This record gives sequence, structure tokens and C-alpha cells, in this order.
Amino acid sequence: MITGQKFVEGKGTYVDDINLPGMLYMAIVRSPYSRAKIASLKGGLNSSDYEGRMASVGEGGSGEINIYSEPVFAQGYTSYLGQPVAAVFGEDRYKAEDLLNSVDVEYEPLKPVMEIDAALKADPIHPGTKNNILIDKWVGKEFKDTSSPIVLEDSFYNRRVATNPMEPRGVVATYDGNRLTMWASSQSSQSIKEGLVEAMNLSPDSVRVIQADTGGGFGLKGGLHPEYVIAAHAAMKYKRPVKWIETRSEHLSSSNPGRGARADIKIFAGKNGIINGVTGEVYVDAGAYGGFGEFAPRFIAYQLTGPYAIPNGYVRAIATLTNKVPQGPYRGAGRPEASYFIERMVDLLADELKMDPADVRIANMSSEPFKSPLGLEIGAAKPFFQDALKEFEYGKRFTSDTAGLGFFVLVPGIGPGEGARIKIEKGRVKVWLGGDTAGQGHQEFVRTLIREELGIASDLVELQLGDTDAVKRGVGAWGSRSAITAGAAVIAASGKIKDMVIKDFGDYSPENALSGSYDIDHFEEMKGTLNSFGANIAVADVSPLGAIRVKDCWSYYDVGRVLSKESVWGQIMGGIVQGIGQVVSEEIAYSDEGELLTGSIADSGVLSADQVPNFVVKVAENRSDLPHGVKGLGEAPTIGVPSALVRSIEKVTGKRIRDTPVRPEDIAEDF
Amino acid sequence: MGKIKVRVKINGKERSDEVEPRMLLAHYLRDVVGATGTHIGCDTSNCGACTVVMDGKAVKSCTVLVGQANGREIKTVEGLSQNGKLSKIQKAFLDKHGLQCGYCTSGMLMASYWLLKKNKKPTEEEIRRNLSGNLCRCTGYQNIVEAVKYASELIEKEGEEEEVVVESQ
Repeated sequence: MITGQKFVEGKGTYVDDINLPGMLYMAIVRSPYSRAKIASLKGGLNSSDYEGRMASVGEGGSGEINIYSEPVFAQGYTSYLGQPVAAVFGEDRYKAEDLLNSVDVEYEPLKPVMEIDAALKADPIHPGTKNNILIDKWVGKEFKDTSSPIVLEDSFYNRRVATNPMEPRGVVATYDGNRLTMWASSQSSQSIKEGLVEAMNLSPDSVRVIQADTGGGFGLKGGLHPEYVIAAHAAMKYKRPVKWIETRSEHLSSSNPGRGARADIKIFAGKNGIINGVTGEVYVDAGAYGGFGEFAPRFIAYQLTGPYAIPNGYVRAIATLTNKVPQGPYRGAGRPEASYFIERMVDLLADELKMDPADVRIANMSSEPFKSPLGLEIGAAKPFFQDALKEFEYGKRFTSDTAGLGFFVLVPGIGPGEGARIKIEKGRVKVWLGGDTAGQGHQEFVRTLIREELGIASDLVELQLGDTDAVKRGVGAWGSRSAITAGAAVIAASGKIKDMVIKDFGDYSPENALSGSYDIDHFEEMKGTLNSFGANIAVADVSPLGAIRVKDCWSYYDVGRVLSKESVWGQIMGGIVQGIGQVVSEEIAYSDEGELLTGSIADSGVLSADQVPNFVVKVAENRSDLPHGVKGLGEAPTIGVPSALVRSIEKVTGKRIRDTPVRPEDIAEDF
Repeated sequence: MGKIKVRVKINGKERSDEVEPRMLLAHYLRDVVGATGTHIGCDTSNCGACTVVMDGKAVKSCTVLVGQANGREIKTVEGLSQNGKLSKIQKAFLDKHGLQCGYCTSGMLMASYWLLKKNKKPTEEEIRRNLSGNLCRCTGYQNIVEAVKYASELIEKEGEEEEVVVESQ
């Protein structure tokens, strides 16, 4: 049974449930314009009090502060709708909201730069910079292909989507004159600490970040946000605890959304369906500042051959600055985009050659491991895919007339490893991990591993929430990495405890271990790749007006060894709905003038129970070489589902689909 | 701002407080009563994390002013278990893994509790329709639907829990 008793009793302690004596509530004055000059600003805490910039930490973070780093408060001008301009503090949340009116800001709106193409042509959005190109690199090796008879080109766009964890962001900060303590809804207390230390120029010893129960993360809660720095600064300045809880409206305007990537792709192929080369440009809409956008385009380009043995590849990876909230990682974080782009091209090739999409895929798979010209290392794809077709009863239950296939390689974020601490005391075991669980159920794999490694019953083992004082070094829970890396750290720490028990007692037994006191904090260094395959098949139903309903969605993923069936199935089924959402409804949209068109969580397209069917989930348990045999998992569904579903919509409507979400006007019958 | 006096019965226990008339029931429960099991996930009455049962009917407590709750009876997630024993709907959510991060769970439980009060044997479609005002980002809903079905079976087999009446103060 999965642990969750405190949650069904309403006894969780999320960050908004933490109340400290004398606590102030913080509310943020945000730019109502996507781009504006701040002609005058009076009131609140603002850039005249605090001039710092954000540090880029967490998934894909460079650890740096550079000229593209977001200022904590807008300085002289605003660069996205929702950007923090000032902060106010009240005795309760209503008074804090009231105080927003006490800040007097005069804006002179400017014409915003809202899309990638416009950004490439427009004058720089930031004075003192040359252009709106955040990054521009080539990946792979230039090649010439004059002999392939089939050359296909197309363009695709995965528009921005909100991460939308059900619990929005939030922190409580307090300062005792020496140390700053911050409770956060978090995927990585370690990264938030690192960010505060760098952005605020504090000594690492003077900052402690503690995770509260965390109501979902999906990429958003792994790094630093301006509001966290403001709350920390205010707690130090006013010498009172400060709470900030994001509203959903703030989430939609001001938290880092994911996707926002476009590609122009060209493939060269033979008439037998074999792809000889892929080239093109990947563009990421980084939003107004650097951070994840500096990493994303290269990460997408690197994966652009997908699970296929394509011998040539040369891809330009560009991120542009626009007047939107900075882009961030969202479940998959570059992996779904790459998979979508290549899968769309493979389906296009199947149509061109009038081949079954499954056959075109097989024609491009190796029975041996393969290293792509873009640097991606994959195992033998063909045997897995052939199994997937069998599991899907492809050709019988599903046919290419209506069903769409998606085949992908999942690249988990392994380096540089992860930390874990195991403490045995008074007959009980406490475990801390370097990355923070946000609902994935890390407790389950920890209990499984402790039971296997130390022979200790699960009811004696409790996973603790993240705490930078409890674990010396840690990374974070993202990139399908936790069971792999934190699991390996738990095993290594268990091994050390075993050795100590043997030293004390002459031999190891769980009873001996539980009768002693042991405390091991271990960082397991890990590098290299541990890529795994997955496949989806989906069938859509489309109404004449263009409303999409998913009839069937099956998954077959190689998850390695399953440590907790509930967690694995839970991750897959939840991810499927996010994958469907990206295709049928999810979007953070702006008008050309920079108005935010997405006004509520309903507008942002999060699907409800009556909009999705039951799913069929199958897994291959091909053990990895790790001691615990696991592979990556968490992001598999958001990678595999969109391309499968889009293909089905294409087959059902007869209309070529290029962009997500698929809008009703793209597919409605012509009247 | 002037204050109003409200008298509310929460999980069987009566209390009265002086509050600002603009206060939402959700904030009253969380910040005044200290019943933080009721969560807030949006500001547009879409997500349902704040669902409680008021006079026997599920409501989104972020859409109810505390003055509107005056003289009424509220049941929150904290009132589901009786004498430390989990109710059937809570047990079903645990057994069927109908939760992951736990944030939407309180609202899901209260919406499901209400559904099973008015319809002891809902079909899958009825469950999905009745939970359509409660968003979950983790589970994909399948196990939540399973949990409600399972709770319905438990109630059929073992009967409903008796409501324990708590003496008022």
C-alpha cells in the first residue's frame, strides 16, 4: 500500500499550512504589460531596495548570474506580463492584497516581442544587448546528401503550457539574525538553497531550506524564483517571518511554463523508408530572461534522431528572447519536443511512401546499440519496438487507419548523481534524499530498497522531507532520475551501514542494525547514460466541430525493474493525461499585443476526469546494469503520448497536424 | 473593516467567530479554524481542492463567503474519520492508490463522499462526471475512479458509517 494516510486525513503540512508567530504575508505588484517602461514607482519593496539578479539553478541551470539573468524586481522596465515590480507585506493575506493598491506605478507601454520569428527580427528587448538571441549553437556534423531520392521538410510548434501542479508555488522565510530558514514547496531544497546563496551572496552555512509537503512539481519547483528571493530579503530586512503563496492567476502569468519550442526539420530518405540524415533548426522561446532556455535548444537538438539509427545529423539550436515569462522545465523538459519533431517527420515519410508507420520505424531501427551523430546513445531499438507492436496487438486491435504510434527513447538526467542519508536510531530508520519527492512516491522505492538491502521491514522506515541541514549534498527530483540516482545512493549508504554493523557485531542482521545507532550521509557520484525505450498507441475521436476525445491510449515502457507497482503505474497514468492535455487543450496563450489570454486553470487546459478514458498500461521490466535494475520512468508518458495522439487525430481528420495543442479550427470540418 | 459574527458547526462542533464579511469560507476554515486539510488550488472555482460539504451538499469553499455559512453545518476532510478510524472513502483512496501528492485529495474525498451519499452505486460515467469539478494533476484520475467504485462496494457490503455527533461547546 502506498503511504498517504496523512493526506486522506487532511493532516499534510504543505507550505501554506505553516504559520509562524509574527508572520507577514507577502503580495506582489506585477507588470500588467508584457513590455513597458516604468516611468515612476512609489511604494512597496522594489528595485530601489533590492537590485539583485536571479541565479540559474536546478534542472538545466548554469549556476551562473549573467547579463540575461532575471532581475529579482523589474529595474526601470518590465519584460513580461506578471513580472515582479514591487512587494507589499500585510498582517494577513487580505491585508497584503489590500496593500497592493498602496504602490503607485506609472507605466509607458511598449510594443512587445511575442513570438520567436518576431524576436529574430526585432531590436533587442534588453538595452545594451546586440539582439534577441540567447543562444545559437550547431549540434552534430555538417553533411551533404545529394543522393537520397526523398527529401521532406516541415515545421512544428509545441506551444507553451503551464506546469500547473495543484499546489501552487509558496515559501515561508524566517531569519534569526544569523541564519535564513526557508520552507518551500519543492523538488529540490538543495537547488533553492544554492540559488539563494548565489543570488543573495550569502554564505552556504547561513541558509537552510526545508521542504514542506509538496503538492506536485512537474519541473517548476526545482529551482529558484524571484518571489523566493524577495521573501528571504524581506524576512531579513523586517526581522519577521514572511509567507508567500502563489495564486493560480499568478501561476499562469508568472511561473515558468514549459514547451514553447518550434522546429524546421528536413529529412533525407531512401524509397525503402531508411532515413539517411536529419537537419534543421530548433527554436526555443526562452521568454524574457536566461535560465532553462539556455539549455533547452541544445538538449532538444541532441535528441533529434529519437530512437532511430540515423547516420547523419546537423541541427542548429537557437533560443530567442521574447516578452514572456521565462521558460522552464516541464515534465520531459526538451525530451517531448525532440520526440514530437522526429516522430512527426517519420509519419510524414510513411505517408509519402505509402508505408505503414510501424514499418518505416522498423526500417530505421538498429538491432545493435547506436550512437547518433548528435551524440545520443541508445540501445538496440528494434527488439523492444517489435515487442511493443505485439503488446498493442498492432494490425489487429489497432490499425494505422485510425491509431497513431509514438516511439521514443527516454534520456534520464543521471549526472552528477544524488545524495541520501540513512539514520538508524531507537529501532527505526529515517531516510533523507538529495532530491525532494513531490508526489511521485519516493517513500515506496526507499522502503523497497531498505527492505532488500538491510532486511528491515517497511513500517520501520520513514522517508523524511528534504532538508539542506540533513543531507550535505543533493541534486533534485527531475529528469526521470530519482529511482535511478537516489536509489543508488540509498543502496550505497545501506552498504556502508552493513559494514559498520558487521564491525560492531561480527555479522549483519537487521536486528543488530536496529539495536544500534548508525548515520550515513552518502553522495553517489553517477555519470553516463541509461536510456530506455517506450511506445504509445492512441486513438482519437474528433467531432465535426473539432472537439477531440481520446478513445484509447495504451503504453508500453521499459521501466527496468519495478520497485513499487503503485508508483510506476501512478506515474504513467498521470503522465498520460498531461500528454493528452498538451495535444487537446493545454496552452498559455497571448495576443499579439501581449495580453495574457489564459485567465484560469480551466483556460489553461488541465483535463478533468470526464475528459479522459481508462488507460491500458504495460511495462517491460528489462533490468538495467544498476544494482537495483531500475530505469527512468516519470517523463515517459509526456514524451510518448503527444506524437501518438496527434497522428491519430491526423488519420481521423485527414488533416496534417503540425502544432500542439491542436485547436478546433485546425481540424473542424469545412462547412 | 467592520466585522460580522458567524456561528458555524464544523465537523459536529459548534463555534462562533468575528470575521471580516469579505472572508471566504476556505480562508476561514484554514486561517481562523486551523482546519488546514481544506486546500486552495485556484482562484476561479475550477479546481475543487477546497470542496467541503455544507448542509449536506458539496460546495467549493473558495466561492462561499463565511457569512453565507452562518448557521450552517460544514463537514471537512478532517471530519471524515470517526474516532481515529478511517471512513470507507478514505480507506478506498488509500487502498486503490487514488492519490499521489495529496493536494487535491481533500476535495476529491469530499466530492466523492457527497456523490456516494446521493448515489450509492454510481456508474463509472457518473463518477467521472461528478468529479469533473475537481482537478488532479498527478493520478490521471483512473485510480480515483477505482477508489470511488471500491468505496461504493464497501458501503454496499458493510453499510455506511454512522455519523458521530460531537457535543457542542
